[in-house]
Amino acid sequence: MSRKSIPRKAKTARRIRSLKRSSRAKKSDALAGLVAASAQALAVPLEPAWHTGVKFNLQLLLAHAARVDAFVLPDETEPAPVFRA
Amino acid sequence: MPGLDLGWSNAADIVAAFASGRASALSIVEATFARIRGRDPLLNSFTAVTDERALIRAQALDAARSGGEPLPPLAAVPFAVKNLFDVAGLPTLAGSKINRDAPPANRDATLVARLQAAGAVLVGALNMGEYAYDFTGENLHDGPARNPHDLARMAGGSSSGSGAAVGGGLVPLALGSDTNGSIRVPSSLCGVFGLKPTYGRLSRAGVFPFATSLDHVGPLARSARDLALTYDAMQGYDPADPVCADRASEPVAALLQRGAEGLRIAVAGGYFKSRNAEAVYAVDRVAAALGVNRDIEIPEAERARSAAYIITATEGASLHLDRLRTRARDFDPAVRDRLIAGAMLPASPVVKAQKFRRWYRAEMLKLFSEVDAILAPATPCTAPLIGQKTFKLGDAELPVRANLGLYTQPISFIGVPVVAVPIPMSPLPIAVQIIAAPWREDVALRIAHTLEVEGIAAAMRPKGV
Repeated sequence: MSRKSIPRKAKTARRIRSLKRSSRAKKSDALAGLVAASAQALAVPLEPAWHTGVKFNLQLLLAHAARVDAFVLPDETEPAPVFRA
Repeated sequence: MPGLDLGWSNAADIVAAFASGRASALSIVEATFARIRGRDPLLNSFTAVTDERALIRAQALDAARSGGEPLPPLAAVPFAVKNLFDVAGLPTLAGSKINRDAPPANRDATLVARLQAAGAVLVGALNMGEYAYDFTGENLHDGPARNPHDLARMAGGSSSGSGAAVGGGLVPLALGSDTNGSIRVPSSLCGVFGLKPTYGRLSRAGVFPFATSLDHVGPLARSARDLALTYDAMQGYDPADPVCADRASEPVAALLQRGAEGLRIAVAGGYFKSRNAEAVYAVDRVAAALGVNRDIEIPEAERARSAAYIITATEGASLHLDRLRTRARDFDPAVRDRLIAGAMLPASPVVKAQKFRRWYRAEMLKLFSEVDAILAPATPCTAPLIGQKTFKLGDAELPVRANLGLYTQPISFIGVPVVAVPIPMSPLPIAVQIIAAPWREDVALRIAHTLEVEGIAAAMRPKGV
């Protein structure tokens, strides 16, 4: 590892970290917007103090949704809304 | 009552004592209320006692015995129910503040009526997590039900009072509900036996719902035989529950003596291989006692848990949306925030979760052509402290509230029957799930009974009870 490459690498790493931070911030803003808009559309009164908890839980649900969505199923798969064991 | 240690007698012993004349129903019921008065201020498992109706019922049973009438199978056995079961004359709280304003139920839930018809005597309603959306047993409105082995610890939820009352020696039998693990988690944390039957086996009529496509009801007890006796008394079609299967009762109590001989059993691998020492010990001990030497992979179990999580959140949100609009401040904030988030999830992931559920069910059914039962941990740890927010699992620090059902959710997701068997350990017990094919409660209960006879599984008597 040359001495010159250290600052360049560090700079790149800093840039990546900054981009990630900015992307996370944008996502978080988008989620906060979704929470506010959904609450209004659903006519659920959302007090400011509840925002963080709701956002956390929605984020968790979306992570679970992403895991389920990543599973490829044939188009013909029937849902099981009337469930039978 | 000679020969009857009511604090730790099982239902079968109580029936025998009553039938032989060693104890009257009235003396059994009065002694039960004395125990509740003495110990429940510590356990906080009851939210109401039904003393008037219980005493009338006990006197009727004594009169029937004196008159030489044939005695029903659970004659004089005290029981209590999670407070989401309708009990005539009581508001059905479902662990909430909001439902306190509801008028009292005008009739008993089907299962309460069936147990009463079988001779059992209802003594009260039990604490639970708000609207059953809970694994901890903490309740903002009624206070937490406490673990009988360590009062500073969780009883587990959401059937927290059911686990604490049975494990704490107040009643030999209780009913609970299980949407994602709410019978099996308190069974594990309190060290009692619990049965979550096949989805659609037992009637939910008169039971306050949560996520209806996942809601089950079932018993908790201190022996596998008591689970079987109670389950047999509650089986049968009930048109009042649209999900209740139209199939004949299949009694299991008489089958227990067949044991586990000849049954093909495997340990769940992969996702279910716990990194918690107590859970590993419990599963290994059960597997060794049963001579099990093979693992089986339940495919996509983690994804199944995610799908169950989504369906629960959205069905629960749909159920409570009006209450969230009008009385959001009256919810426990932890429950409220989860329900509001559930209302905000788009429909697409929910449909995908339901499609995945059909795929997963087919895969699980394939496994049951290879084995008769599968063993898995019931909880990822023993009882956490009340108020504890996270626990360690291997290297990961996980939130308690969402993750106590880590191993139960992928199983109830497709409605197969499970018996949670408690494995005694010091200082705290933990349970193992015995998972069977749909409608084969008999297989799971036979294995549970075998483990009990061999001294591997047992409800551990707390100190001082």
